[in-house]
Amino acid sequence: MPEIEGSPGTSMHGVTGREPVLAFSVASPMVPTDTTAKFDLPVDSEHKAKVFKLFSFANPHMRTFHLSWISFFTTFVSTFAAAPLVPIIRDNLNLTKADIGNAGVASVSGSIFSRLVMGAVCDLLGPRYGCAFLIMMSAPTVFCMSFVADASGYIAVRFMIGFSLATFVSCQYWMSTMFNSKIIGLVNGTAAGWGNMGGGATQLLMPVLFEIIKKAGATPFTAWRIAFFIPGWLNVIMGILVLILGQDLPDGNLGALQKKGDVAKDKFGKILWYAATNYRTWIFVLLYGYSMGVELTIDNVIAEYFYDRFDLKLHLAGIIAATFGMANLLARPFGGFTSDYMARRWGMRGRLWNLWLLQTAGGVCCLLLGLVNSLPLAITFMILFSIGAQAACGATFGIIPFISRRSLGIISGMTGAGGNFGSGLTQLIFFASASFSTAKGLSYMGIMIVICTIPVSFVHFPQWGSMFFPASQDVVKGSEEHYYVSEWTEEEKQKGMHQASVRFAENSRSERGGKVASAATPPNNTPNHV
Amino acid sequence: GSIYSNSEVCESWFRFLLIESTTVSVLSFKKVIIISMEFCGGFVVGYLLFSCFAAACYGVTFSSLQKTLIVTASSPKGHDQLTVKWAFDQTFPAGTDSTYKTIRVKLCYAPLSQVDKPWRKSVDDLNKDKTCQHKIVAKPYTPSNNSFTWTIETDVPKATYFVRAYALDERQVQVGYGQNTDASKVTDLFDIRAISGRHVSLDIASVCFSVFSVVSLAVFFYMEKRKGNVTQKK
Repeated sequence: MPEIEGSPGTSMHGVTGREPVLAFSVASPMVPTDTTAKFDLPVDSEHKAKVFKLFSFANPHMRTFHLSWISFFTTFVSTFAAAPLVPIIRDNLNLTKADIGNAGVASVSGSIFSRLVMGAVCDLLGPRYGCAFLIMMSAPTVFCMSFVADASGYIAVRFMIGFSLATFVSCQYWMSTMFNSKIIGLVNGTAAGWGNMGGGATQLLMPVLFEIIKKAGATPFTAWRIAFFIPGWLNVIMGILVLILGQDLPDGNLGALQKKGDVAKDKFGKILWYAATNYRTWIFVLLYGYSMGVELTIDNVIAEYFYDRFDLKLHLAGIIAATFGMANLLARPFGGFTSDYMARRWGMRGRLWNLWLLQTAGGVCCLLLGLVNSLPLAITFMILFSIGAQAACGATFGIIPFISRRSLGIISGMTGAGGNFGSGLTQLIFFASASFSTAKGLSYMGIMIVICTIPVSFVHFPQWGSMFFPASQDVVKGSEEHYYVSEWTEEEKQKGMHQASVRFAENSRSERGGKVASAATPPNNTPNHV
Repeated sequence: GSIYSNSEVCESWFRFLLIESTTVSVLSFKKVIIISMEFCGGFVVGYLLFSCFAAACYGVTFSSLQKTLIVTASSPKGHDQLTVKWAFDQTFPAGTDSTYKTIRVKLCYAPLSQVDKPWRKSVDDLNKDKTCQHKIVAKPYTPSNNSFTWTIETDVPKATYFVRAYALDERQVQVGYGQNTDASKVTDLFDIRAISGRHVSLDIASVCFSVFSVVSLAVFFYMEKRKGNVTQKK
């Protein structure tokens, strides 16, 4: 398969576009089971699991899943651990509003770069060491919070802790070595969503720890520093567990990543070119900045908002803030589900409308969140906003596999980076200046979400149409094959490098929606080898 | 921040409306859909009413209060204590203080310490005002001879302060005030130096755990590489 191993998002390789997001398992005729292998779960010829058994810890597949998502969860806990304690920290360190805002920007900016590097690290050391390396090296940065004495120290430490969010890449990469490509969509989506929940769990955990440590006798300005030890220990513990219990591949650890079949390695420059020159990539980078981006922003500002605006106690503000992040448990898969559901009837047009509706609804609720003066209404709108934004995240990745087949990995990576960039930008614009209140900042952000979601109406696929325009009637230009194969030059086609794209194009005919009878599955539908 | 009694009144109104709407919907026992619709409807009505009520439910404004108390604050040099004295200003007509029941003395942020810090903002509506966030003492009202020595608490941040005393009536509503500074809050301010919260023992523990993390990673890596080399040699 012509692909770069380890480039961001290569865990998406093998995604055909046909798999429904909620596929729990793939049946035998589609992917033959290797009956000689002795694993707890049925596996394919590469010993990747064909079944996703959520509540099992069977070695190696499900154990990997749990180690992986919990590591990602832990990094979210560490990155956003400061947010619910800001009311105490700002008094201890004499922070201004700008300092707090800048620290929030710093906390999400580091991972833009670390995620890009992480792919290469996973390539060199394997996802197990990639993950363990990152979380154990970021544990000292978490412990560093005990040294912080002023605003610059605070911003620097939050920046360094933020690097650990790159475990997203190792998590998805690791999943792709363990799970068959036909169920990888659900597996990765679940792992990503549950990892994101860490941003919510930390809003609950840190104030509770703070209260307990205070009750044990520490002064408030010491108690919050001690509280940071817990996320630090979590980092170390998870790192050790990953090293002891985890393994890189179903058959063992990284001796060498063995590839079956002939592998014509694609050129990084080429796949970057096709990603960058496809305008849809940039629209989705923008869009993800206003679904995932605002989710990260809210993780940073919401607890302080409820504490100040409604005069709540710290742990109460934390509980309310936690419900925002914890909604990821169901909201993100929900977005993928609605995307698939709309696609069944209306194809790609349905997916685009679904995304627009969810993200715009989220934006409207964000606008209202900043406007209301009563606590119950604020909580209601916050919850609706969280569902809208997180479902939009899930829906975005229901569409991304179709933008390009060749550059899927890079586009996924760029989209992810766009999320962090959007978060940094919104925090900088709306929450780092004292010229308007946090409530106004929320409302303005809501308006910006609605405006920045409009570009999804410009996404047009010649073979499927767009939100407002139908598919091209041209026989050649309006075919899926033409769209996906156009990414290959004649030379490359002669080498046969485009075969995977052709197969993908055939399978993606389902994106035409219910009116068109789905194309007959070719009789020799061989599974995609890694 | 502290929750004034007016908010508590609003809270109990909301609870009343909520119970009302739920009772009404439970009593009308027809179809499940109707019940849930009415519950939602009652909820929404309760929400809207409460939100309107909450918006209308503001407290006393600071500008409506008269400065009827004389307040002074001093500190024995270098100690972490503050002595506050307050008395009724006799230049006001007698009987002005007839409704005063309690005196609540608070530590308040000077304008210098409010710059770029919206969570300490001064607002005329006393329910929303965040100038005075630290309670010093609350005592029953007597017109003169009032004094209190306060040990500055550990969560008081480093800032510039003044002291303000509110006179409250029996419904805990502000009816008068006094402060040790002038109206524009520039004279007689004092600085409080806070503790940093850092401790040597914390710093040492932090370094130890960090070193442990890095070293155990290196050890694992080295051991696995060695095992790999050994098996390769075999």
